[in-house]
Amino acid sequence: MILIKILLSLFIFSPYVALAQEEYSFNLSEIEKEVEKKPYSVGGYLEFRPNLYWLDQDSAFYKLKFFNHSKRKTLDEYNFRLLLDASYQKGIANLFLRTNADLLESDLESDVDANILEGYMSLKPSPFFTVDLGKKTLNWGKGYAWNPVGFLQRPKDPDDPNLPLEGFIVASADYIKSFHGPLQTITLTPVLIPVSEDINDDFGEINHINFAVKLYLFFYDTDVDFMFLTGDSKPFSVGVDFSRNVTTNFEIHGEFAFINSFEKKFIDSNGNMFDETFDAKSYLVGIRYLTSFDTTFICEYYRNGTGLTVSEMKGFFALVDKGYDVFLNSGDDSLLTKTSSLAEKSYGKRNPMRDYLYLRISRKEPFDILYFTPSITGIYSLNDESYSLSPELLYTGITNLELRLKGGVIVGTRQTEYGEKQNDYRVELRVRYYFDAIKLLN
Amino acid sequence: MKKYITGIILVFFVATSSAFAIDGNELLKTVDRNLNPESFEMYRKLINIEPDGSKKEYIMYSVKKGRDKIASLYLSPASEKGRSTLRIGENMWLYIPNVGRPIRITSMQSVTGGIFNNADIMRLDYNAEYNCEKVEKEEGRYLLHLKAKTRAVAYDRVKMWADHNKLLPTRIECYASSGMLLKTLYFKELKDFGGSIVRPAIIETDSPLHKGYRSIMIFAKVKAKTFKDEVFTLPFISNLESLR
Repeated sequence: MILIKILLSLFIFSPYVALAQEEYSFNLSEIEKEVEKKPYSVGGYLEFRPNLYWLDQDSAFYKLKFFNHSKRKTLDEYNFRLLLDASYQKGIANLFLRTNADLLESDLESDVDANILEGYMSLKPSPFFTVDLGKKTLNWGKGYAWNPVGFLQRPKDPDDPNLPLEGFIVASADYIKSFHGPLQTITLTPVLIPVSEDINDDFGEINHINFAVKLYLFFYDTDVDFMFLTGDSKPFSVGVDFSRNVTTNFEIHGEFAFINSFEKKFIDSNGNMFDETFDAKSYLVGIRYLTSFDTTFICEYYRNGTGLTVSEMKGFFALVDKGYDVFLNSGDDSLLTKTSSLAEKSYGKRNPMRDYLYLRISRKEPFDILYFTPSITGIYSLNDESYSLSPELLYTGITNLELRLKGGVIVGTRQTEYGEKQNDYRVELRVRYYFDAIKLLN
Repeated sequence: MKKYITGIILVFFVATSSAFAIDGNELLKTVDRNLNPESFEMYRKLINIEPDGSKKEYIMYSVKKGRDKIASLYLSPASEKGRSTLRIGENMWLYIPNVGRPIRITSMQSVTGGIFNNADIMRLDYNAEYNCEKVEKEEGRYLLHLKAKTRAVAYDRVKMWADHNKLLPTRIECYASSGMLLKTLYFKELKDFGGSIVRPAIIETDSPLHKGYRSIMIFAKVKAKTFKDEVFTLPFISNLESLR
């Protein structure tokens, strides 16, 4: 807690710290030296992210996580992260690597996790034809918080959608062609995704090779993508998305996905499992609007066609309560273990229900404080009327240092998505230092 | 050489023929071509200076083609490295490597913060965005009164003072549709970049809306270069480094 207080003080007062007072001078030849290209680069960021949670002891997810621990009202977590980006270029080949190492320290656990987020070779036989082989993220879609057409990506965190995601091992290509006229660009992106016990086993059913294609058009000043995914690891899916500026400060975007024969698994309050197979339609519509006062509004409506209904969620929450009572009365945790596994697969995923509204309002540099951006984000589950609110203060005024203070308030009655989250409130500080290792070594 | 001859002819024509009015739009086109070739590459250092003297610097590589296509890649600081922007007419996108896909942005926003906004950093030719409504001849310079061609342009009106002999801007004032002065750009330090490109190496700006703050743009390695149209496409935005 003391550490959090110190870091909060640093955050609050940092905009007023006076740096160098000298008058600016420059030398053109020095700038020319600075921009010389090297065939390699190594950089990334170091991050320290303490979190403080105020727990909701009656919630389903609190019971699932803490049933075999003594009761607690708060939880401190200290997260450290090192993200490394490296690249090397030789001839038509470019190697790219992005790794992530996380360390978590809390009263409950201590965990270290290292991961290759991306690692691939990019071959460019011509400037406008590229072949990529290796682990790569393919972030499809125009939505800010959700991407129903992101057939090849892991789900984003709508509360922090700009976090880097882990890719899948793929073979992909990009072919770009430009034209004069209303249709200015066509790009074709075919992708092969093998799935086996050793490769991409979390993508879908193993021992299949899947194929996906995206066709991008820049047509009448509008970005349009058509895409599909076929193969036996996942249901056949087809989608379309678009993005367009109506005026320079008003953008609209949307996505639509059709998922053929989607198989949904759910459980009732007695622990009976059900399978339901149906054709699902998911879509998203959104806007981005910048006012003359430098305030940006991002608003999205998301229909998750594969999502769970209110009664299916209630059945799960009732089962967790039942399992918790059994554990308290007899010490038997088998029912809680079963529901825990289901929580990981579906019920505990981000936004597992059907209809959501997203609103983010951010104001750039208010009160003449350069590089300071306060914002607030709300995610509202329309089906059960529960929601989360996350106010945020971001300061980037010190070169390569990013300071973010973020709060979280979760509101919902019992047996609602947000009402059953493990915590009611949350405060997070994120201190991120970016570095260019080559420059540091020089 | 060609542009000097054009400039000299234009000056001669303007100076000797009082019977003819100055064609402001032609003059504006000449100023545009004197500032940079139609297709070129350049490096820029952008410095934001705060009232207490603290500063933040960015370096970017930019390529431009024709009247309405420009793309930029941020080379430093480390926190911005790899970010790319693309502008085709009034369409603007920002690509952030961590996010992995481009998002649409607007001209009045600022990717870097400070007084320069996206429209300043990804500036198109003035004659692509403005009509010259009136030219006044002052002592050793012209004053061009520019009006935005559409409401999509970042500044509704612009006053441009251009050197009478060199036909290069020395000062530009940018106004909102309400008539409010938004910012003033000062063009300084004429430099020969080679290949007949002689232009100011520095643009300094201040704004009555941000008293005490200054932003400076320094130009380096400005060089005429032709590019394929495919460079100025959304799928290529993450590949700008390959052009350097």
